[in-house]
Amino acid sequence: DGAAVLPAPQNLSVQSTNMKHVLTWSPVMVPEETVYYSVEYQGEYESLYMSHIWIPSSWCSPTAGPECDITDDITATVPYSLRVRATLGSQTSAWSTLKHPFNRNSTILTPPGMEVTKDGFHLVIKLEDLGPQFEFFVAYWRREPGAKEHIKMVRPGGIPMHLETMDPGATYCVKARTFVKAIGRYSAFSQAECVKVQGESLPL
Amino acid sequence: VPCVSSGLPKPTNITFLSINMKNILQWNPPEGLHGAEITYTVQYFIYGQKKWLNKSECRNIHRTYCDLSDETSDYEHQYYAKVKAIWGMNCSKWAETGRFYPFLETQIGPPEVALTTDEKSISIVLTAPEKWKKNPEESSISMQQIYSNLKYNVSIYNTKSNRTWSQCVTNHTLVLSWLEPDTVYCVLVESLVPGPARLTRPSEKQCVSTLKDQTSELKVK
Amino acid sequence: GQEFRFGPCRVEGVVLQELWEAFWDMKDVVQAQDNVTSVRLLRKEILQNVSEAESCYFIHSLLKFYLNTIFKNYHAKAVKFRILRSFSTLANNFAVIMSKLRPRQENEMFSISENARRRFLLFQGAFKQLDREAALTKAFGEMDILLTWMQKFYQ
Repeated sequence: DGAAVLPAPQNLSVQSTNMKHVLTWSPVMVPEETVYYSVEYQGEYESLYMSHIWIPSSWCSPTAGPECDITDDITATVPYSLRVRATLGSQTSAWSTLKHPFNRNSTILTPPGMEVTKDGFHLVIKLEDLGPQFEFFVAYWRREPGAKEHIKMVRPGGIPMHLETMDPGATYCVKARTFVKAIGRYSAFSQAECVKVQGESLPL
Repeated sequence: VPCVSSGLPKPTNITFLSINMKNILQWNPPEGLHGAEITYTVQYFIYGQKKWLNKSECRNIHRTYCDLSDETSDYEHQYYAKVKAIWGMNCSKWAETGRFYPFLETQIGPPEVALTTDEKSISIVLTAPEKWKKNPEESSISMQQIYSNLKYNVSIYNTKSNRTWSQCVTNHTLVLSWLEPDTVYCVLVESLVPGPARLTRPSEKQCVSTLKDQTSELKVK
Repeated sequence: GQEFRFGPCRVEGVVLQELWEAFWDMKDVVQAQDNVTSVRLLRKEILQNVSEAESCYFIHSLLKFYLNTIFKNYHAKAVKFRILRSFSTLANNFAVIMSKLRPRQENEMFSISENARRRFLLFQGAFKQLDREAALTKAFGEMDILLTWMQKFYQ
């Protein structure tokens, strides 16, 4: 029966950065032929309560590339089993399953891109739009000895948000990190950026 | 005399348009009957109860909408509504809505926005939108009382610097200080509540100018 | 960040917005299958005035029933109606919530847990009065009512 003639895809792994998760594998090479792949997943619920059940991934059943964006399928902070098989015409390979289940709490969180500007005396920040999962933990301070650091949670990204009304002549610095509620983790802080406000500085 | 359920096509696109719990049932006329003298009859149903109820003001009407705000005012209930077309002695089958849940589906209107300015500041006073009420004399219920986690997204546009920035606030007063004198700022506010995504209805854009800088005026004199 | 606070029970790591989006994606399909519109399982009186202390017991019973009975037996329909993704999102997040709920078992909590149990039995009783398939479809379609009640405890 032609079912398992085709070799199963190998070297499955997941690369996950900023809650974007991509499953990759080594392509099955068949000269002058296009091999297609199907990806399926199983959350903890399925494996505990209905272990025979696998769910076709949203975007890769089938797909031609040796990778699959599984972000839309990983929608809970639980271990997910993932498997891939190759198909060529009527030939279908065996399933190849990811060695260790993937949990989105292992995603790599990078410091957010940010643009700090001012509109007159108003300190404005525009943070990188990383999607609805992200909130931003913004720290800002007036650059002077013994300055007190102020904290603001900002969301969403992608639009200029008002941070503070600044004193004339002062310099204010800002740094930000992301916070992902779903996994309860922060990224590292971005580099601080500072802006100077026009006008004479006020007496302290 | 009851009409005869015939092959008359049903009304189409029957939906609730709901803003601040003002719930209007609306539909399109049946296809292919342009020019015909069509009337409509509406009924509604409270999910979990026993029977369809009539709306007397929407029996044999010519318009293609029916205000069911009063009948669906308990926003913790869920409802269905249906409408049929009548032409002479013939009537269509009923066209029915999906299950309508006012608490989750009503659009939250914008707050009332009052702006006052002085030289370098604008104070913004927001008044939460009100829930629909049957009579003007009835006491008002603020949408804030229904949605305790109601927030506002305030957008400020500086027409001189051509810059826009936003602030998300929960309280009803916001003072923008240290603004540029003699400058027009435009303000636009949206109401936000957590839960399923809803259409938002931003407020009308309001523009005010900060006053001229009095100190520089005195120096000039 | 935001979390569920069912009285003393705290649950982090669940984004309620993801559950709303999952349900909303399938709401029309699922609710259209429910023809027994004269019955509502999660009635207002069952959900009204649940005290903070009661809430942990109550949600634990509800989610356990949903996971063990409703999701488990609704899966074939989820495949048929092509709503597996929403099904999986809700099931896995309910499993996370349930795994983190620790309703207290001390004696002094007995009367509170009994109140919660009575509420749950009203729901379960209504469920059992219906034909099995109709009950599964109805309970699945009423998750907007359940999520609305849960939203009050998401702070």
